[in-house]
Amino acid sequence: MDFIVATFRKDLTRWREDAHALIIWLAIPFLIGGLITAMAGGSGGSGPSGTLLIDDRDDTLISGFVAGAFAQDQIGDMLTVQNVGAEEGKQLIDAGEASGLLTIPEGFQDAFINDTPVVLTLKTNPAQTILPGIIENVTEVLLDAGFYLQALFGEEIAAIQGVDDEAGPSNAFVSSMSVQVNDKMQALGPALFPLAFDIEIVEPPPAEPRPDIGLLFLPGIVMMALLFSSQGLSADFWKERETGTLRRLVSSPGLLNQFVFGKALAATLVIAGISGITLAVGFLYHGIAWSKFLPSMLWLIFAGAGFFAWFAALQMLFPTQKAANLLSTIFLFPLMMMGGSFFPLAALPDWLASVGRMSPNGFVVDKLTDELVSANAWSFDIRSWTIVAAIMLSGLLLCSWRLKSGFARR
Amino acid sequence: MLKVDNLTKQYGDFTAVDGACFEAGDGKVFGLLGPNGAGKSTAINCISGLLAPTSGHISVSGFDIVRDGKKAKATLGVVPQELALYEDLPALDNLNYWGKAYGLRGAELDARVREVLDYIGLADRAKDLPKEFSGGMKRRLNFGCGIVHKPKVLLLDEPTVGVDPQSRARLFEMVEAERDAGACILYTTHYMEEAERLCDSLAIIDHGKIIAHGSVDQLKAQVGARDVLQLSGRFPDGLAATIADRGIADLDVLTDESNVLTLTMTTASHHLPAIFEAITAAGGSVSETSLRSPNLETLFLLLTGKELRE
Repeated sequence: MDFIVATFRKDLTRWREDAHALIIWLAIPFLIGGLITAMAGGSGGSGPSGTLLIDDRDDTLISGFVAGAFAQDQIGDMLTVQNVGAEEGKQLIDAGEASGLLTIPEGFQDAFINDTPVVLTLKTNPAQTILPGIIENVTEVLLDAGFYLQALFGEEIAAIQGVDDEAGPSNAFVSSMSVQVNDKMQALGPALFPLAFDIEIVEPPPAEPRPDIGLLFLPGIVMMALLFSSQGLSADFWKERETGTLRRLVSSPGLLNQFVFGKALAATLVIAGISGITLAVGFLYHGIAWSKFLPSMLWLIFAGAGFFAWFAALQMLFPTQKAANLLSTIFLFPLMMMGGSFFPLAALPDWLASVGRMSPNGFVVDKLTDELVSANAWSFDIRSWTIVAAIMLSGLLLCSWRLKSGFARR
Repeated sequence: MLKVDNLTKQYGDFTAVDGACFEAGDGKVFGLLGPNGAGKSTAINCISGLLAPTSGHISVSGFDIVRDGKKAKATLGVVPQELALYEDLPALDNLNYWGKAYGLRGAELDARVREVLDYIGLADRAKDLPKEFSGGMKRRLNFGCGIVHKPKVLLLDEPTVGVDPQSRARLFEMVEAERDAGACILYTTHYMEEAERLCDSLAIIDHGKIIAHGSVDQLKAQVGARDVLQLSGRFPDGLAATIADRGIADLDVLTDESNVLTLTMTTASHHLPAIFEAITAAGGSVSETSLRSPNLETLFLLLTGKELRE
């Protein structure tokens, strides 16, 4: 037991000298996580926005309604409507500085009231995809609405034609028009809104709130920190062999098991520190309940020890340090891609997600995700703990065996 | 006490150590001499438990290294040829760690570590990292790690390779101090002057076999009072026989090749004119002459026909 503690302290002291590696293991997941969060728009990012240019050559009440329609509700949140002249509009849209240019021709109101054909011209920005499509759809809806309004309220609209554009409609005109429209709505109501049957509105059971996409990335990013640090630390067996200390150890009275456990303990503390910092930042950013921090950390500690031991055993199977480093790194990246470190398992195709969940890191990520998004803490079941403990113990035993079976003696 | 009995180590068809037998007592330095690749390090590795012998027995302080490895290793200290240090761990912590590896604890360990730091001349650098040390300082720390637990049997595998003269002298003093403290020391080297200075008895090993064995005086006596004369140049066939016909007493021919001729005889310097005359008469020529007095190096040459450092 004393030698376990001695080895633990010895390795922590040594690794403290290599602070650069610790910073890199911590920085890479933060960098990648930051990029992913930025690409996903974070948890409260704003939607797309753009500018609609309107060249209103008619400049009447009806043409004003059309322009105003684009400033309403959610469309208004996405679009800034800017009235422009013909030349200015052409320059701006050609320069790609707006999402679209809508030209309302002179005589639009007359044509609308008299129900004669009229052409609205919409020029969209080909460099954009979403907003021009929305503008096009809204314009079509407006035209359809205009058609039905004309059919239903043709007389009232014709009366509007007589309104003095400069002075605006009089109060008497507005009230008279309101009464006429109301009477017509009352008369047409049963036909327009037939009450064919009673509707009982049944509220669906409240669905669990869907976690934001950034939160789904968090377990994978934490796992990335854990994998980088465990793989990096596992190379220390090779370093010890190259410096001859393993051979000196073999000449001492039989302490290889204690040596392995001491080193694994030190590695686990470092891995827990690195993945713990990453996890804590994630908890703060996503506002996760802190009651889930302890179970999540314990889960990561077990997993970290297991990955360290398995990486170490794997590295000790290779004939040279260079080959061990290279091949374990090559092994690491597909493992991270498949196991949900770059893309959440939920975002992968079903078959790939199934394979990913069967990978050791995918399994750890999957269970950690469940814990983070579940309603209550301690969602890990006994089977999961057993599996991760078995991974850890088998890795440590394999390490010990490999050291004794010749690795330390060369 | 170290006893090696008929030690053999094979790698496939290659025999690195072939039936080696020797014994080293407490308070004595036993030297194992031989050129590079002779089998010295393999023998040390078998004795320290790094390699399992193919056959034979090794007893360290009365414990068999294979059957009773833990007890044997507890009394064994190893100073390997290559440095075996944590370069990123302060010198003090290196000694502490290896002391703990041999079971030292608490005040006993602290006192011993301080003692060793003074002993190896690194007390003022105790908290520094070995990676900042000179080669000689690292060698001394390497030595310190091997003796921190006061081993009864100490294996020193070419401890002075690549060491400056000052550090080498300090290492010699440390070896002598360990011997005087009662340790049994096995010292491998290919420097004859080291063996002559330090070793009470020694064995000469070549191609895995012990080819001579005894105290330094006994081995020197094997050389007798004969000098070794080595000539380089161009020599015709049968020249050695022509020289032998000159009637030189105790003349032996060690090597007779077209460009190297090695002869041994008493008072060789008196016979040089006759030898040169014979070479000239036979149509040969001499480009280089080396005349050496009897020592362990010449013994090795006598036994193997080649230089120790070849």
